[in-house]
Parts: sequence; C-alpha cells; structure tokens
Amino acid sequence: MLGLAILPSAGASKWPHYSGTLRVELRASSVSLDPREWKVGSAEFATDERMGALVFDRLVALDNYGRFQPQLATEWSHDAAFKRWQFILRANAKYSDGTVLSSADVAAAIQPLLPDGQQISASGNNIVIQSAAAMPDLLEELASGHFFVYRAQPDGTLMGTGPFFVAETVSSSHASSNSSSAPADSSLAAPTPGVGKTMHLRFRANEETWSGRPFLDAIDVTLGVPPLRQLFDLQLGKADLVELSPELVRRATQDNQRVWSSAPVTFYGLRFDEAQPSAMDANLREALSLSLDRQTMANVLLQKQAEPASALLPQWLSGYAFLFTMETNIERAKEIRATLPANMAIGAEPLRLRVDAPGDLAKLLGERVAVNARQAAILVQVVNRPVARTTTTSNDPAAGVHLFSWHYSSLSPRVELESMVSTLNFGNSNEAAVSSTDPEQLYAREKKLLQERRVLPLVALPEYVGLGQKVRDWMPSRWGEWHLADVWLDLPESVPAQAGNPSATETPATPTAGASPGAKP
Amino acid sequence: MSFRTKLLFVVLLTIFASVSVVAYAVTHYTQAAFEAMDAERTEALVAQFKKEFVQRGEEIAHQAKNIAEANLTERMAIDLSRPNADQSLYVRDAVGTAQEHGLDYVEIVNYDGVLISSAQFPARVGYKNEWVTAVKDWNEIPAFWKKEELPDGVSVSLSVVRTNNTVADKTLYIIGGHRLDKNFLASLVLPAGMRALIYTNLEPAFVPTSLMGEKIDAEQAERFASLVEQLQKQPQPLVRTIDWTRDPADAETFHAIPLTGRNNELLGIFFVGSSRKELVLLTRQILKIAAAVAAAALLMGLLVSFWVSARITKPVEELAAGAREVAGGRWDTRIDVHGRDEIGQLAEAFNHMTQTLAAQKERLVQTERVAAWRELARRLAHELRNPLFPMQITVENLQKARQLDAKQFLEVFNESTATLKAELANLNTIVGRFSDFSKMPAPQFVRVNVNEALRNAVRLFEPQFNEVGKPTITPELFLTEPLPDVDADPDLLHRAFQNLVLNALDAMPAGGTLTLRTSEHDGHVRIEVADTGKGLTPEECSRLFTPYYTTKLQGTGLGLAIVQSVVSDHHGTISVASDEGRGTAFRIDLPQRQSGQTTAPREPAPESKSAPSTLAAASD
Repeated sequence: MLGLAILPSAGASKWPHYSGTLRVELRASSVSLDPREWKVGSAEFATDERMGALVFDRLVALDNYGRFQPQLATEWSHDAAFKRWQFILRANAKYSDGTVLSSADVAAAIQPLLPDGQQISASGNNIVIQSAAAMPDLLEELASGHFFVYRAQPDGTLMGTGPFFVAETVSSSHASSNSSSAPADSSLAAPTPGVGKTMHLRFRANEETWSGRPFLDAIDVTLGVPPLRQLFDLQLGKADLVELSPELVRRATQDNQRVWSSAPVTFYGLRFDEAQPSAMDANLREALSLSLDRQTMANVLLQKQAEPASALLPQWLSGYAFLFTMETNIERAKEIRATLPANMAIGAEPLRLRVDAPGDLAKLLGERVAVNARQAAILVQVVNRPVARTTTTSNDPAAGVHLFSWHYSSLSPRVELESMVSTLNFGNSNEAAVSSTDPEQLYAREKKLLQERRVLPLVALPEYVGLGQKVRDWMPSRWGEWHLADVWLDLPESVPAQAGNPSATETPATPTAGASPGAKP
Repeated sequence: MSFRTKLLFVVLLTIFASVSVVAYAVTHYTQAAFEAMDAERTEALVAQFKKEFVQRGEEIAHQAKNIAEANLTERMAIDLSRPNADQSLYVRDAVGTAQEHGLDYVEIVNYDGVLISSAQFPARVGYKNEWVTAVKDWNEIPAFWKKEELPDGVSVSLSVVRTNNTVADKTLYIIGGHRLDKNFLASLVLPAGMRALIYTNLEPAFVPTSLMGEKIDAEQAERFASLVEQLQKQPQPLVRTIDWTRDPADAETFHAIPLTGRNNELLGIFFVGSSRKELVLLTRQILKIAAAVAAAALLMGLLVSFWVSARITKPVEELAAGAREVAGGRWDTRIDVHGRDEIGQLAEAFNHMTQTLAAQKERLVQTERVAAWRELARRLAHELRNPLFPMQITVENLQKARQLDAKQFLEVFNESTATLKAELANLNTIVGRFSDFSKMPAPQFVRVNVNEALRNAVRLFEPQFNEVGKPTITPELFLTEPLPDVDADPDLLHRAFQNLVLNALDAMPAGGTLTLRTSEHDGHVRIEVADTGKGLTPEECSRLFTPYYTTKLQGTGLGLAIVQSVVSDHHGTISVASDEGRGTAFRIDLPQRQSGQTTAPREPAPESKSAPSTLAAASD
C-alpha cells in the first residue's frame, strides 16, 4: 500500500498561514449535504460525508490513535449498562450565520439518524440518548457516518457549525462561458455529468466556528470530473486535491505526484440473489467461490492497488479479518461443478452477474469473475448496470449474482456488519443481529455469514488522493476523513490568489482580522 | 370461318410468332448479357474485397510490427524476462497501445504464453494463450481470421501476431487486430445497388443476430439460414439469389465468401449482395419495348394482311359466287379474270368450264327434247294405232257390206258404227289423258294430315286387294302417330298417292304385300310406298319418272311423272329403290311448311269414291 508522501517544495513557507482557495475535483456528479438522505454503504456516501464534514460537526470525533475527541460535545458519560448516554454540549458553538447552537438543535438533527429504539432528548446543555438495549459502541457511531449536527432552514437548506459553509454553486461548462449562480442547497448535482458540464461548489471559511477559522479562505469543489482529467488537472496545477482511481495511481506516482491512500474503505463482493434459482444452490456457490482468483484481481488487474478480501469487514475495523482465508482451487471447483445438474449455469441458462457497483473497476472485476468461473465450467454472463439508472425494471433479466461495492461508513464494526447484512440482504433472516461489541461474537457472526457463501468477498480498495505541491498539513484519518480545516496552502507571498482560478480572483479571500493560528484547537 | 378470315389469322399468327421469337431472343440474350456483366462486376468486387482484406491485414501487420519494435515494448520484453517480474505494471498498456495504433484489439503475450495485457478483454490477463507460443516464427505469417473472446461475448477479428525478440529465447508476442463488425463493413466502398453483410459464425446453429450489415432485420436475416448452414457444412464460396418479395426486382444475388481461421474452421461469412432491381427493370423495359413493337407489328400486320387477304380472296370469292350461280342453274355464268397468276388461270378455267357446261347442257336438252318427242310420237303412235286398226277393219267391213242385203248391211252398219263410236271414244280418252297431264293445276296449299291422306288412298283400292279370282294383296300400314301436318294440296297429294298405290298393285300381278310407312325427318314428312313385285332394273329406275315411259303393256307412262310433278310442286323429293325380284320402294320427303305460301287451315283429305281420270292413265 502506498503511504503518504509529503514532499515540501523548495522555498516553501515553514509556518501555516491563512489564505488561498483549495481546488478540489471529485468524480461524483452530485452531492447531498443532507445527512438524512445519505445511503449507507454507497459509493456516494464518502463524497457526501466529506462535503458534509466541511459544513457540519459531530458530537465527538475519533483521532488516528483511536481516541475519542470532543467536538460539539465536550463531555460524555454513560450508565453501567450502556443504555443511557449523557453529553454536555459545547457552549457558544455557533452556526455560520452567527446563531448559537442549542441542544434542541442537536436532538432534532440526531434523532432522525438514530436507529429505531434509541431516543435523544435535550435539556439545557445536556443531551441524553437512551435505549432499552445496550449501546456500548454509541461513541463510535456518533464519531462517524452521518451523525452530523445541523439545523434545517425554512428554505430547505441545512446550516452547520463546521469550518466552512456553502457560499455558492456555479454550474458551467469546461469553458466556463455560461456559468450561472445558484443558491446553496442541500442537494447539489452537476447538470449533465460526464458530458462536459460540471458543477462548482464554493465553500467559504466560517468565521464563527467554535474550532477557529480554518486556514483556507475557500474551497472550490468541482463535481463530475472524470478520473483521467482529474489527474491531468493535478499535473497541470489546475487542481490541488483530486480523487485518484486505482488504475491511475501508478501513473501518478511515476509522474512524481503526491498520492495519499487510506486504509481499505471500499469493499467489493458478490452476493447471490434468489431471483435466479440456480444461484441458491450451495454447491454452485462453493464452486464459484473456489474458482475466484482474488490475488490476481488485486495484484494484476488492480495493479496492487487493492487487497484481496477474505472477510466482510477490513482488518483495521474488525481486528480479526486475518483469521479468514478464501481458498482458490480450480480443480476442486471443477469437481463440485461436475456434481451439479447438467443444465445449471450453462449456455442456455448462464448464471447472470449484474454489476451493481458503479465504475469501470467494478465492470472489470465482474468480467474477471466470469473468466474465473469459466475455468470451472460455470458460465457467468455479465450484465452491466445501465448508465444513469439505479433501479432495475421488469425488462432486466433476473440476475443470480450481484457485484456490489460497500463503502465503510461507521467506525463501529458491529454497526457496519449489520448495516451491510440488512442493506444487502445476504444474511439468513432467521439469524439474529449481534448487539454486542464482543469481537468473538462479531467474528462468529461474520464467519457464519461467509460459510453460507451467500456473499463472497473479492477485494477491498483504499481511497487514493492526489495532492498538489502547495497543499500542507494534509492529515486525514486512516478511514478516509480528509480534515480540510487543518490544510493550508503554501502560496508565494507575492501572489494573493492562485493563478488559473477565475473564481478565486473574482472573490478574493479576506482573512478575518485578528485571527491567528493560535485559535486552532 | 371464311377463307379471308383464315388467311387473316394465319398472317397475323405468323407475324405474332415472328415478333415473339425476336422479342424473346432479344430479351433472353440481353438479360444473359446483363447478368454476365453483373456477375463480372460482382466477381470484381469480391476480388476487390479479398484484396482489401489482404491490405487490411498488411496494415494490421504493419501496426503490430511497429508495436513490437517500439522502445517501450523492448523495455517491457527485458523487464518481463527477469525472474519474478511484476507483470501488473503492464496490465493497462494494451489499451493505450491499441488507441495509439488505431487497432481494435491488442494483446501482449509473454514468452510463456501468459497474457500480460489485453485491450479488448483486460479481465483475461494472467491466462495463457498457448496457441501463440506454438508457432516459432510469426513474422512471416499474414493476417488471419480469429475468434476473439470478449467480455460481452465473442467476435471475429482480422488479426496478426508479431514478435519482439530483444531477449533471446524470451519472445514477447504482440497480437493486433481489427474487429469484423459494422464499422469494418462501413469502411468498405460499395457501388450503388450493392451491399456487404457479415455473419459471424460463432454458434453451431444459425443465429439471426449474428448477421451484420445495413438494412438487415431479423426477418431478412432468417432467409440466410439455409445458406449459412450449407456453408457451415462445406465452407466454399457460394452464389445464391434471394427473393425478398414476389417482385423479382426486389431479389438480391449474394456471393458468400467463407472466412476461415488458421485451422480452417469457419469463423464468419462475408456476403456481397447485388440487387437485381436494375437488371429486372432493364429487362422489363426491354419487354415493354418488345411488346410495343409487337403490338405495332401486329397492327401493321392486321392492316397489311387484311389488304393482302382481300386482294387474294376477292378472285376466289368471285369464283365461289360463280360456282354458286352455276349450281343455281346459270350455267353461262362468267367471272372476271384478274392477272395471269394461279387464281387468274383458275378463273379462266372456270369460265371455260361454264362455257363447256352450257354447250353440253344445250346439246343434252336438245337430245332429251328429241328423245321425248320421239317417245311421245311412239306412244301416240302406239296409243292411236290401237283404236285406228279396229276402225280401219270396221270401215273395210262397211265397204264390203255394201254388197250385202240391206238387212245384213244394216246389221253390219250398226255394228260398225258402234265399233267406230267406241274406238273414237277410246281416242278421245287418250287425247284427254294427254290433255290432263298438260294441264296440271298449281297446288293450293292447306294443312294436310298425310296419314289420313294415305288411308283414304288405300281405302279406295280395298276392293281390288281381295278381288275374286285374283291373287291377294295385303296392305300393311306403319303410320307414325302423331305426324305433323304438311302444307299441301290435298287433291294433288291424293292423286299422287293413288298413282303410287296403283303402280304398286300393277307391280304385283301375283299378289304380295303393299307397305305404306310415314315418319318425320328434319322438318320433313317421309312417305314410303313399297311393293313386293318383281322389281326394276337400274336402267328402268333411271327412266321411271320420264313422261310417257312405261314398262307395262297398257299405260300412258304418265302416272309416276304426275307423282314426280306433284312432289316437285310441293318442293319435295321423290326417290326409288328397287331390288330386282324383291320389289320396289318409293320414298317421298315433303317439307312441313311451304315458304312464302299462305296456307289455309287444315281440311279433311279428299276421299274419292272412284279413281280420277289421271289414275286411269297411271295404271298403264
């Protein structure tokens, strides 16, 4: 795995300073700033969460050392049974419009996000979350995912206490000749993603944030930028921070670009669907599992930018993933296949694999699964998900296997595992969910799921970020949180704003008088 | 049908046949010539396509060679030849290389056959392509058709393998290819009216969707099934015409060229279709022109043949009219002679013939007239001599009697005057008979029942049938009932029947059977009177109806002449048939209606109580 490579340029500033606009380019064509709309596990969740983290704060946070850090909650406690948690709200925390955050706001924001059975109440500066069941990992839940605090405005937008706020959205073509402004909204999308139209989001520094004004004056986010173009823009200095797809990582490093990678945060796997009856045959699933060559997928196809996955949860999240292994045995797969009915998964009725996960990478993995399966005499027909369509119709052939991706969004392995099981519906319906955070119970639960082989892990991918040479103090979490409030740009003192950024020159950054680095926590 | 009409038809038929033969010949040979030209054009196009395939193959080979000889490929070959080389470094290279060199397919295969990179099917990376390493030297092998496995199925490509031999014994293989698809077809230049189709033979059975090309739907594709199946059995070039609709102009002739792989397996079929529309339309145009020419020729032929036939048949018609006049009795008829040709000679012969006939007739009439007069004189002499001889004897007796006494003279005188009176009366009777024959009245037609007339005639002679001292004659009547009435003069008819019956009685002095029979035939009523007498000789038969001719010792020879006269006046016919020694039969056919005559209603047939005067004459 590639590690962080920070190469300060010659003559760069030694100390952080306020100014500059960070130019970010993202693949996603739309962004939602409403945590209530975020779809757990989806590829869009990561983008939404990162943009949300610019605007909103959580009650608590987890640092890279696994320690909980106060955010909007300064203190917390729980009863012995972990059924009642009490949080003390930070005093004088303000929204970007200067209004004070209240505990009632927190309760109103968090309540829709909590699972059934958990209640939140506010009283003064106290916030209480309680449940009939134990909540031993509530802090992990609240420190990750969509548990942001916000206040809904009458116009539908959400206001946060985070280091930035949405200043404007600009929809324009690449030539930026017909740009137009639009008010900030919680749901933002590029008009025609991928066909030359992009959307720009401008986040401005929040002067009122409790954590102190961020170093950056603004962050310009461009949505809907293809991966290769992001790399080009990074190479040409037109972007400071881009998402890198795995196939471009090697190219970026060969070009001496700064590349950061997270821990594996995106899981790719196969889940079987009873829509095609043959997919419910345990022997066929076992034969298919034995035919899969995950090492080649990760090391050759994905050019060592991924890890072969043998468990549903990654090692960094569960701690026991190393206990699982996924065997590849073509001969054994052929033997099992030979015992199956002759008409199962052959030319007339192949096993249909629908690639639900977006992107060329998922398609490539699906094709590799089909190639592997063919070695075991199992015919798999790859059915790609139509572009710009997320739901199937009655005209789509019933697929027995789905290639899905899952973005880990919670820091609680229990929550993550059960979310995965319930969302993707590959668990045994008679099997009760695990409520304990005991690793042994979690391990047993996951082991049983894997032994049923209704879900087969393939690979797990980190996230890759390309960084411009001027980006400083890039200190993201291992699980992918960017922490852009800590980033500053090493700009020449003679240049007030970055060249090649029209929006930056149109709206020059104006550092708040009196603000100092000392205001940072 | 008249001679002229026949001649007209013959001429027209001849013209039509001639025009048809010419039109057919022109159409046939023109069509054959055009089809030959079309076949040559298609063959040329097929040859051009084959040449283009070769050129495409050379282009692909050139690009593959360029890839194989590129510096990056050399570095790759060196790198991959090292132990534990990281093959994943090059997994994406084929995609960029394919784009850079304008190829649809590029695959990089390591010396051990392991697929390093694939532009068309990246997911296959890591698997072995052993067929590549089986050949020692690829660089001289031209492009070949290859079955390509793709993520979404299989396809056919025109591929080339070239090698990089930078590292000894560790050859790096570059496989480059172009996909055989609609784009490949679109790059071919086709003349108007022609199209190219490609069938990728990647399934054992015919799959309509595997047929690619312009304007081809599933229904049309199905029509290629038998052709494809035939080529699957025996991959050899074929030519077949497909009729898309019932209109021959929509038909297309397809030249099927099998595309076989390196192991001679059928991978695809290239169809070059040539529309027959132009050819059929041209043929139709020729047929239209031929039909117009034929119609014009027929019209001209009609006019010409009408004129010719009129010119030819006019003398013939004149001849026919002359012949009819001759048949009608105008023996001196003459016709105009036109020209000296065969028809003219025929007309001259006709005129000569009528002239000769007229002269012969005149001589015959004169001869017959002389004969008739002689016969008449003979009969008159005979008839008159019979009473004259007793009269002469009587007169001589009277002269001798003057020497006798008065008493005796008176007695002789009285006897002589009585004899003279009797003989004079006899003479008077003879003269009366001839006078009556000369004064035969014109018939007064009424409706007459022939059967009744016959019965009345027979009834008159009943006393004679069983006369004492004479042989018996048995009358037998076979009269058809009902029998249509005829228009006839009842008195004349009665007279004719009496004469026939009397003639039959005279013919049977030794007794016999008198047979009378009536019947209806074709608008005529037939009467037959037959006896069982000694019969007549043919010569007697021929002269039987001649006036004053008789075979009997006592007779004027007028009886049958009167019968013939009556029958003739009734526009009927009489004939006689006789077998010598077996009897004679007379047959009369009378028309039921007399044309142009006013006919009185039916009258009862006259029932004579005694034989008329002419009957007596007929009895001789």
